[in-house]
Parts: sequence; structure tokens; C-alpha cells
Amino acid sequence: MRNYITNFLDETREVILTVEPEEIARALKILQATYERDGRIYIFGNGGSLALATHFVSDLNKTVFSQDLNRSIKKFQALRVPSNESELTAWANDIGYDMVFAGPLQNYLSDNDCVVAISSSGNSTNIIKAVEVAKLRHIPVIGLSGFDGGKLALLADAKIVVKTEKGRYDFVESIHSVILHLITSYFQDYFNHLAVKNSGK
Amino acid sequence: MIINKIMIVVRAPLRISFVGGGTDLPDFYHKHQGAVLSVTIDKYVYLVINPTPMISGISARYSITETVDHPNKLQHTRIRAALNELGIKSHIEIGSFASILSQTGLGSSASFSVALMKGLNLHKNNKKLSPKETAEAACHLELGLLSEPIGKQDQYASAIGGFNIFEFNPDESVNIKPIFLGFEVSSKLEDHLLLFFTGITRSASAVLDKQRINIDKKLKEYKEMTTMVPFFEKELLAGNIKGMAKILHKGWLLKKSLSKDISNNVIDKLYESGLKSGAWGGKILGAGGGGCLLFLAPPKNHKVIRAKILQKAKKNKLKDFQEIPVKFVQSGVEVLFNDNHTVL
Repeated sequence: MRNYITNFLDETREVILTVEPEEIARALKILQATYERDGRIYIFGNGGSLALATHFVSDLNKTVFSQDLNRSIKKFQALRVPSNESELTAWANDIGYDMVFAGPLQNYLSDNDCVVAISSSGNSTNIIKAVEVAKLRHIPVIGLSGFDGGKLALLADAKIVVKTEKGRYDFVESIHSVILHLITSYFQDYFNHLAVKNSGK
Repeated sequence: MIINKIMIVVRAPLRISFVGGGTDLPDFYHKHQGAVLSVTIDKYVYLVINPTPMISGISARYSITETVDHPNKLQHTRIRAALNELGIKSHIEIGSFASILSQTGLGSSASFSVALMKGLNLHKNNKKLSPKETAEAACHLELGLLSEPIGKQDQYASAIGGFNIFEFNPDESVNIKPIFLGFEVSSKLEDHLLLFFTGITRSASAVLDKQRINIDKKLKEYKEMTTMVPFFEKELLAGNIKGMAKILHKGWLLKKSLSKDISNNVIDKLYESGLKSGAWGGKILGAGGGGCLLFLAPPKNHKVIRAKILQKAKKNKLKDFQEIPVKFVQSGVEVLFNDNHTVL
């Protein structure tokens, strides 16, 4: 039992080192630029990645500002796509599963926005279709993928890839969660820093 | 009938150029790769493009208002050239607004071109240019169509946004290298930075035109200016403000040696007074001959520097002299309003 546990933890440590810090920096810049121009952040994924997307939406909108939620500063506007199960199943049932993200995104997306796409394989058709909608309009795309990065790593502007052998969803999804928390933590520290700085003046 | 078109609002940020300015002139980078390091700031040129289906003429509103019946009759060279390039002949109103005067060395004329090309492409063809394409279009307008004797750094800075190194290659291509700076360093740099408008405006083209003629005689100096870029980047990433200031100072001295029009007696006096009151280093922003003066100085010395330099400015009768507070921004040119989602 102990061996199993230490092996998993050792492997996790190895895999986490495959992530390029430069690409996370690129993602932070995209998010900050979107914030500055009052744009919206659309986040989506399938299965476990959808759970990560939902979690990240609430972290960006609330956790980042939670030390000072009442202060009247502009906050992030992050939204999960599609926004609810009715919309998800309507697109899936009536049009096709390929359109569950691209369909709603086509409706919402405007020039100041950015997109965060999460897909472990980086090849899910519905994810790629949505990313193509964004690319066509020159909307910046942050891609979180795993394995060999897939098509998502080719298309995204910030290519965050957790490199593993094919099928290791466990590592990829876990480390995606770490990266999304890193982003949350960065902005939390940033806005706290600004609050302290501005109160000193 | 063009009633389906709607108003578009675009804005493009101004920039502070730290090192390498001048090496983005074609006369230099055609012979040797140029390089600059700059950052965009929270001051913008706003541009409104309004289709006027019921009025066939063309209106351009900037420091004056022009109303004409054909683009060729416009005095504003860039609007005229851009409308002709895109084949827009009528039914349009273009207005520009900014919180900062033009000709202050913050790159506002390039920001205008960047916003103009981004907006007009949307207006004409609903074509969304990427930041890089927008920079290229603005350079094509200014350096290509209008043969202005200027460089290419400002168009790229304003279109891309944030801290960047731009390298200008002899084949006209440009390498864009973003510098990812954490908020700690970025905020520390803001705290050390002082920016003053000298009250002297100048046309960059006039200064650069003279500087350009001398390029062949000053190749060594220009090359040295490009080599400062990686050194500055290193100090920037390390958050070593004093190190950055020393490089700025060295770069300013080098730049002054390029042409006698880059500085003058008044600018030299203002700069000296800043250094004497505790600034680590600084420079004139933009082509020179006027514009804005930048200092990096420990925050505790800011009060004294402000007082001393203001005194010096008054003595020299610079009635428009004033401080401009700035924050860095990451976003480049952006469309603030465009309600047309119909065509893609």
C-alpha cells in the first residue's frame, strides 16, 4: 500500500515539472489584459474538466477578491460555457454534442473577451470547435491540456500542457487544478497588494 | 444602403520606451537588426468611427473638424491615406479623443494609426485584425503609404500591449518577445517612476528626419543602443531599479550624441535638476527635442525632485510643464464597442 502511494506521489512530482512556467505567465498576461478592458472570461471542459472549469469560475469571480469582497473595485467576469444543464442538453440533444461549447460561445463572445479551454487529450471535438470560433475572431485562447498537448496546444495562445503518457487523466486533471489555483493565488496576491498600496496613499 | 453598419469605438494605449529607441528606423535596421524595450501605459487614444448613412460626405474630427466630399480633400494625411487604402469614399465620420496631448513622446501618433487601422478594417469589411496585423497595417500606413521618416516601435508597442522587446529585422519582419513581469516588480517600477511633460511639443518626424541623415556616421552608437536591450531586460526581470536607471542614463547620453536636435539647453537643465535632487537616472521619451522626461528615483526622493524640477520649469517659462502619473497596462489595441455580430 505504502509503495503504491509513494509511487503515485513521486510520479505526480515528475509530471508537474513538465509544465512550462512561461506558458502560465502568458496566460496571466491574457487574463490581466482581459480584466483591464472589461472583457469576459469564458471557461469550459468535458467531464472532470467541466468540474475544474466550474471551480475556476467561482475562484476568479469570488476567491480572488474574498479578502475584500465589499470594496467597490472592478472584479473578474468569468463564466462557464454553457451556463447550465438545460442549455448543455439542449445543444447536445437538438444539434449535437460537438456544438455544446461552440454554440453558446458563438452567441456570447465579443471582441474584448478571452477563452480558457480545458481538455486532457487536447483533442475533444467540441472543445476544438469552440476554440476555432474564438481563433476566427482573434480572441486570445488559454489552453490547458495533457498527454502530448493535442490540437489544443497547437491552437492556443497560452499552451499549458501537462505532459504524460496517453490516458493519464488522473495526473493531468490534478495538475490542471494546481495551475488554476496558482492563477487564482497570483491574482489574489496582486489585488491585495494593490489594496494595501492604495490605502497607503 | 449601408444602414446595417454601426458605430465602432477603439482605443490604443500610449507607451514608454526604455531602451533602443532610434534603432527602429529603417535606415538602421536595414543594415543591422534593431531592438527596443517598451511598455504600454494607462493613457489612450480613443477613436470613434461612425457610419453616416444619411450624409454622404466624410467628417474627420480631431483638433479641428474637417467635412469634405472626397477623402482626397482631407488635410489629415493618415485618415486620407487610410480611407483611400481601404476604398472608403463616403458616409463616414471619424473622431479621435485623448487625455494626453500629441507630440509628447509617448507614441500617441502611432497609437492613433493603430486604432484607425483596427477600426476601419472592422468598419469596411468586418475584418478583425490580430494585434500583430494591426501593427503591420499601421506601419504600412505611416512608413509605406505616407513615407514618414519614423520608426516602427510605437505601432507594435500600442497594438501588442504590456512589456515587450521588439526586434526589427532587415527583411521588415519584427520579432515580438513579451516580457512576463510579476506584479511585484511591475508595481515597484511604477513606484519609482516619475514622468513629466516638459511643456515643449515637437514633431517626431522633424527630429527623426535629421537624425536619420546621420545614421551611417553613427552606426557604432546605434549598435550599442541595441545591446543595451538585453541588459535592461535582465535588470527589469530582477527588479533592480537602480540598475535600470543607470542604463537609461547611459542610453540618454548616447542618444544625445546622435543629433544635436535630440536635446537642448532647457531639457538638459531639467534633466540635471532631476539627477541632482536624487533621481538615479532617466531620459527624454520619444524622438527628443521636447516631450516627456522620465526619471527612476527612490520614492522617498520624489517630493524633492518634483519641487526642484517644477521650480526649474517655471524659471524657464514652461507654462504647460506638469507631472503625468502613469500605470502600466497589459492590453494593447482594443475594440471597446462594436455591436455588429452578424458577419464573420
